Amino acid sequence: MAHKSDDAISSEKMALPLSIISPMDIARVSRELEAYSEYYHQLELRKNKHSDIKQPKISQLLDNLIELNMLDLTDQNDRDNLRSFIEDIKTSAPVIHASFSVDPSVSFLEKIISYLRKEINQRLLLTIGLQPNIGAGLLLRTQNKYFDFSLKDRLFDASNDLIKLIKETN
Amino acid sequence: MTIWWLILVIVFILFNGFISVWIVLHLSSTKSTKNNQSYDEESINGSVDHIFDDDFREELRNRGRLHFEKIITENAMFLQQDLQLTTSQLNEYLKNEITLKLKDEFKKYEDSISDAKQLAVESIQRTNDAIEEQRKTLNAEVKKEIESEKSLLIDRFEKNMAKIINHYVLLAIGNQIDLNDQLDYILADLETNKQAMIEDITNGS
Repeated sequence: MAHKSDDAISSEKMALPLSIISPMDIARVSRELEAYSEYYHQLELRKNKHSDIKQPKISQLLDNLIELNMLDLTDQNDRDNLRSFIEDIKTSAPVIHASFSVDPSVSFLEKIISYLRKEINQRLLLTIGLQPNIGAGLLLRTQNKYFDFSLKDRLFDASNDLIKLIKETN
Repeated sequence: MTIWWLILVIVFILFNGFISVWIVLHLSSTKSTKNNQSYDEESINGSVDHIFDDDFREELRNRGRLHFEKIITENAMFLQQDLQLTTSQLNEYLKNEITLKLKDEFKKYEDSISDAKQLAVESIQRTNDAIEEQRKTLNAEVKKEIESEKSLLIDRFEKNMAKIINHYVLLAIGNQIDLNDQLDYILADLETNKQAMIEDITNGS
């Protein structure tokens, strides 16, 4: 969990791990970071003496974030950088909403988010919805646009070809 | 007209019979009168009474009676022959007339039957024509309606074909479609629209 503070990177250069996908994940990480900051603040106040204050558990999301950015949460500077990064993500990260016909697995979402962050935006977040009637594919909604990559839309686009094929068959 | 002719013939025959009887009676009366005058002259003269005595007179009466009966018999026979002939002719005439009349009536009856039959046939023909016309009209309307319904169904099918096929695909293999199998297609779609998404994110609010 702990990393050398010397290798830490600034908030502008930080990246999101693939496990952090949605704004909810960011909010969760933010809450954990606040709990950690509060924990170390309490330790600071008590002069590093052992007390009955419990160390908060670190979730997989926060752990991945720390590892990816080589942070040390015991370091106040790293915590501040991470807080700054998270606040930046909260306020400025683009959010795309994607709907699938079934609930996607984590590994699948990681592949998708990996592509999106690589090709579109490094800080992109994804909210997931469910649309069972689309059959297959996905519906994507950015801030101003709507992209239909569903099977239904493909069938609709290909309806003229289908009609032609049916007529030829008859 | 024929009845009047028949009555006239009968009257004529009866008239001939009466004339014959009257002639016979008149001749007898004339002879009797002449005989009386002779007897009166004889009585007056009183000279020839011995010739025409009662027996002779009786003999004459008998002869006259026989002669009269003979004439009557002959005339009656003639009358009978005439009557038989007339009756025969009359029967023949009546037979011919009745046959003619019956033929005429039968002809009229046949004509009436033929006319009625013709009318019935024409009526049936008109009815058949009307039914055929109605059948054709109905057939055309039904055909038109079926074509319209068919066209409507095809239009609906074509309009909703994507939904129908999608629904069918979902029902058939909906549970077997794995998102991981779709990953390549999804990434290809994202790659195709990457630029539009970048522009929207970059130029968004």
